Amino acid sequence: MKFLRLIYQNLWRNKLRSLLTSAGTMVLVFVVTLVWSILGFLANATTEKPANIKAIVSERWRIPSMMPYAYAASLKEGAATEPEHVKPTDNMTWTFYGGSLDPKKRTFENIVFAFCLEPKKLLTMMDGLDELPPDSSERKSLEVAVAKLEKNRQGILLGQQRAETLKKKVGDRFIIHSFNYKEIDLEVEVLGILPTRRYDQSAAMNIDYLLGAIDSYKQKHNGKAHDMAAKTMNLVWLRVPDTKSFTQVAAQIEASPQYAMPAVKVQTASAGISTFLEAYADLLWGMRWLLAPAILVTLAIVIANAISISVRERQTEFAVLKVLGFRPGQIMVLVLGEALLIGIVSGIVSAGGSWFVVNQLAGGIPFPIAFFPKFMIPADAWWWGLAVGGGTAFLGSFIPSWTACRVKVSEVFARVG
Amino acid sequence: MSAEICVKVDHVSKSFRRGSESIEVLSGLSLQVPRGEYLGLMGPSGSGKTTLLNLIAGLDQPTAGSVWVGDTEISHLSESQLAAWRTRNLGFVFQFYHLLPVLTAYANVELPLLLLPLSAAQRKQQVLTALDIVGLSDRLHHRPGQLSGGQCQRVGIARAIVTDPAIIVADEPTGDLDAKSAEEILNLLCELRTQLKKTIVMVTHDPRAASRADRLLHLEKGKLVEQVEN
Repeated sequence: MKFLRLIYQNLWRNKLRSLLTSAGTMVLVFVVTLVWSILGFLANATTEKPANIKAIVSERWRIPSMMPYAYAASLKEGAATEPEHVKPTDNMTWTFYGGSLDPKKRTFENIVFAFCLEPKKLLTMMDGLDELPPDSSERKSLEVAVAKLEKNRQGILLGQQRAETLKKKVGDRFIIHSFNYKEIDLEVEVLGILPTRRYDQSAAMNIDYLLGAIDSYKQKHNGKAHDMAAKTMNLVWLRVPDTKSFTQVAAQIEASPQYAMPAVKVQTASAGISTFLEAYADLLWGMRWLLAPAILVTLAIVIANAISISVRERQTEFAVLKVLGFRPGQIMVLVLGEALLIGIVSGIVSAGGSWFVVNQLAGGIPFPIAFFPKFMIPADAWWWGLAVGGGTAFLGSFIPSWTACRVKVSEVFARVG
Repeated sequence: MSAEICVKVDHVSKSFRRGSESIEVLSGLSLQVPRGEYLGLMGPSGSGKTTLLNLIAGLDQPTAGSVWVGDTEISHLSESQLAAWRTRNLGFVFQFYHLLPVLTAYANVELPLLLLPLSAAQRKQQVLTALDIVGLSDRLHHRPGQLSGGQCQRVGIARAIVTDPAIIVADEPTGDLDAKSAEEILNLLCELRTQLKKTIVMVTHDPRAASRADRLLHLEKGKLVEQVEN
């Protein structure tokens, strides 16, 4: 502690250099924090959970999965046919419907990507929405919107940003010209806004409306079914209490002969996300093993450079300290202390600042990947800042501090004299 | 070893390597400095006087021979042992003061005390005493850049005596000062010797400084060639 004041005052010897080093450290810690936040979130999403598992049923051999909606009823029951069979505790079907407001010119500003589902499942099965506290205003407004969507099957719930991009508000009506269900253009009415940031760019519709439109298509075309009529269900989610139940339900479905054409497979949500993320494997590998390490090395070099210059300028001063009785280890502590102080303080300020700005002000990191349009920075980032700032400062300043403590007094004063 | 002798240099040689060449700077030199003596070392550049001073201060090791200060043979101590020894037993006054520019006069003088097991109150007491002795009680919070050369050297002397060492080593302490400031510094060193009974070993080219010494040794080519009693 007696040296702390000395360390602090030495940092202010060259204010510009210290501030630039600090600024460089903060920028690089900020980038590392963003990268680790995304990787950490995805790692968490792909980690198998022991209880309250979501199982995903999808087409076995084709991506994207497109199953007949006729599968839905039995799949929701986990293909249970015998009394000893296990049934899921909850379920949800997913149908992806995309289109634009302008059929001639499709742009980011006029497209809509909607999940078509049973409205009430928004409250119990949708990631993020199923965990809203019962008394929260978000949950209550979602319950109101879901009730409206069940009554008015032509309704649509828009994500906050999508609504702003489309310049639509509750009560507005418009037609979506589909690009994955040709000629199935749906006129919808905005009934509400989806609450959480995770679905900011998405939308939710009542599946009955889409299925009804496909039936109407057949009537209008002399009994000829729509090309997508037997492919209207992309996924089924089943909630099971534990790993054992999951294994049994998966075995029941995969052994059932009723899902032969097309065949289906069952995997956990974590495994499903992992499978989906395989498309991004190179990007994620690069972020984890190239980008993040490169930033850490750069950070260590920035600090090493600043401390090296400082040590070179202060050779005489270190010799004086030795004359006064400072031991080599104590001089090393002084130099390491300067680097650690600037690294740790800058790291914590940067990571903490990132946490506040990104989570509280910006509403997440806009990095759309898989089903995740945005990422939040975890509270652990405060520790990351400390560890990254301190660790790289230590590594970067070790050799300069070793140089400082090896200063030979007689040689330094021979030069000075 | 006699209690009267503060420094004993016994058949000391010191050589340096420059490439493949070995240069002998001190050659079998011996001298004794009684406790409380003010010793001046003079000689032309390259005569070995600063090397001798560094050996007495424990800043370098002899190639042969031994150096004793008090009852301690410092020529065989490790670097860390020497550092600890210097803190308690030796004060060093530099020609160019070598104060830390970011620290105030008070903090510069306090530096050696940070290495000793003293409380903050004890450190403060010793620093104030040292600065009072050198007449700078009114410049505690000035940084070196705000002080004159003479005042900086006074701070340097306060830093050298703050741990109450037995011996003060000075390397041309008036070499960077004007005549008036140099005179004041020499007076101060004499007071340290007479009032605080410090042993002073001083390298100088300045005849005025040399005239203040009790004894003057002339070195040439690493050997003592003349001894003058003042």
